[in-house]
Amino acid sequence: MGAPLLEIENLRTYFHSRSKRAFIRAVDGVTMVIARGETLSVVGESGSGKSVTALSIMGLLDAGPGVISGKITFRTDGGERNLLHDLEHYVTLGEQDGRIMEVSKDEAGWRKQVERIMAEVRGKEIAMIFQNPKSALNPFVTVGHQITEAIRLHTPTKHPREAKERSLYWLERVKMDSPRLRFDNYPYGLSGGMCQRAMIAMALSSEPALLIADEPTTGLDATIQSTIVGLLAELKSELGIATLLISHDIRVVSRLADDVAVMYGGTVVEYGPAPEILGARFGLKHPYTAALLASRPSAQNVEEKGGLPAIEGEVPDPIDVPRGCRFYARCNRVTEDIRDACARHEPALKELTPGHHVRCWLYGD
Amino acid sequence: MILEVTNLRKHYRQRAGIFPALRSRERFIPAVDGVSFCLEEHETVGLVGESGCGKTTIGRAILRLTPATSGRIVFDGHDITAMSARELRPLRSQMQMIFQDLDAALNPKMRVRAILAEAITTHHRLSDGEVARRIGELLEQVNLKASKLSNFPRELAGGEKRRVGIARALAVGAHFIVADEPTSALDVSIQAQVVNLLRDLQRQLGLSYLFISHDLEVVQLISRRVAVMYLGKIVEMGLADRIARAARHPYTHLLWSALVEGQSKEASHAPLNTRTGAWEPFDFERPVSGCRFAPRCPVYEARGRPAVCTDAATEPQLHDIGGRHYVAGHFPV
Repeated sequence: MGAPLLEIENLRTYFHSRSKRAFIRAVDGVTMVIARGETLSVVGESGSGKSVTALSIMGLLDAGPGVISGKITFRTDGGERNLLHDLEHYVTLGEQDGRIMEVSKDEAGWRKQVERIMAEVRGKEIAMIFQNPKSALNPFVTVGHQITEAIRLHTPTKHPREAKERSLYWLERVKMDSPRLRFDNYPYGLSGGMCQRAMIAMALSSEPALLIADEPTTGLDATIQSTIVGLLAELKSELGIATLLISHDIRVVSRLADDVAVMYGGTVVEYGPAPEILGARFGLKHPYTAALLASRPSAQNVEEKGGLPAIEGEVPDPIDVPRGCRFYARCNRVTEDIRDACARHEPALKELTPGHHVRCWLYGD
Repeated sequence: MILEVTNLRKHYRQRAGIFPALRSRERFIPAVDGVSFCLEEHETVGLVGESGCGKTTIGRAILRLTPATSGRIVFDGHDITAMSARELRPLRSQMQMIFQDLDAALNPKMRVRAILAEAITTHHRLSDGEVARRIGELLEQVNLKASKLSNFPRELAGGEKRRVGIARALAVGAHFIVADEPTSALDVSIQAQVVNLLRDLQRQLGLSYLFISHDLEVVQLISRRVAVMYLGKIVEMGLADRIARAARHPYTHLLWSALVEGQSKEASHAPLNTRTGAWEPFDFERPVSGCRFAPRCPVYEARGRPAVCTDAATEPQLHDIGGRHYVAGHFPV
């Protein structure tokens, strides 16, 4: 693993539901590290807190009476910064048994502080591409103009003509079909795949140190998906940009990731090198990871035309988070020896082999 | 034979302007352009293809949810193509659709109980007690907790909503079901639950499915036969395993290779054997003559763009290559 670029420590992002008078614990104590030039992939089902983690890093959460706590350290050549620096001054927490019970917050001051920190970082050093490129682009502005605008805003290239040349360069770089023609198109005139290429061009145009890709291929057709993944793989090896790839598609992840973090119910349940976590031959796995991998049709299922090994039940409610292990209710590997621990206490993230962490009582002492 | 579709066409009309005077520029979009296939009893036929290729339109046209432009649909021995609504009514209870977007398909103002009761009483006059008994039976079939009956659709998780959609299709006593992307937008773990449920129901109730999906692995798992669509036409059809392993049409190859490539990291460095740019989906506004797939076809390119591929008079038609395997292409691979 290379030098760390972004370190997330114990990130907690809670929203407040007024009608239910409770906290929605979208992200509940996440710790992970993205190394320079490497791809960390966050895998998990909807509601597991993947996107909220990304939005917390970008300071894009309009959290209302909610809370973001923990530490996000971003190290560049210019030094290191905590992206959540001083935010705690604007929030007063009432804690009980280590759980946050109430919050009062100076919303305006908090917002201002976020902008102060992120103005220099967002779009410039950390860029993001979104799941739905069509809605992420401005429908009233041509694709070319949007990229040019981003270049003039985030890079030293300020002259309109030079900026246009740069954006054409990036459109070519992402293999846009006839870039000069597409430059003057509005987003509605482009297909989903083309819009995603334009988004990638815009994100990369400021030559960021970190790219956050939130489900970049979801909603695209299989053939287009495959070309976009190919493009991301190519750009990664050519430009050496560190990437935080969020996806629920194991196939996409296995093609791009160096490290994988598996999230479930707002926490990381397994974290380590991609081949160990996604590969079939390593036995030390979190039961959730194993079940997730097994629930996709495999050559063997198809051969036998048998049923799929499904994970029964539904994901836990982020408001009423279980006291013990979050996966306990759906887990099929609970043994009598550990049942009590599983139901009552949340296991810690334990390092089993170097770099490979699992949060499960099966691997307890 | 429960369903026989012959030369089905559905052309949508697109108006070019908002003023009536400009409607002379009307265009027809051939969403489904001459499709023939059949479905046997207790069989599952998978329909795969990229978005916009006309999969859903076929499903809707078969159930007469949208009128076909031309062609013939025979359901259970009845030609339903031109049946009046009154004649069609008794048949409607035998064929149902599971819609893709359940947020749109389930009435947000109705509780689950009312949704199911409405479906049950639409075709059969039953007493309240009988309706309640039937609801109980449906819940058991789709494995849904009785406590969910008093919930509104928005209060249900994705998998539960899907179960309600399936229960509603079963409520009228349907034995032929068009399942439109039943596993899309669901989490992986829930997808497997739904696939298993559909298989179990098929076995218990003797259902036949037209299974529309772009998820090739799931289709291969659940279907006996698979039809691959490209731009309103079936380009290849055959037994699921043969389509997956011994496909002959270059498009089928492309679809499946997109899948296989995803499985190994090393493969991502292998150059894709297609022309970049030509990869974007087809544009109905710029129709090609001859083979529709030619602009994206690696074979067309490799053979030095033969004229036969773009000759309007020789658009390839499905032909039998043995073993219930049909291909439409000039140069099967």
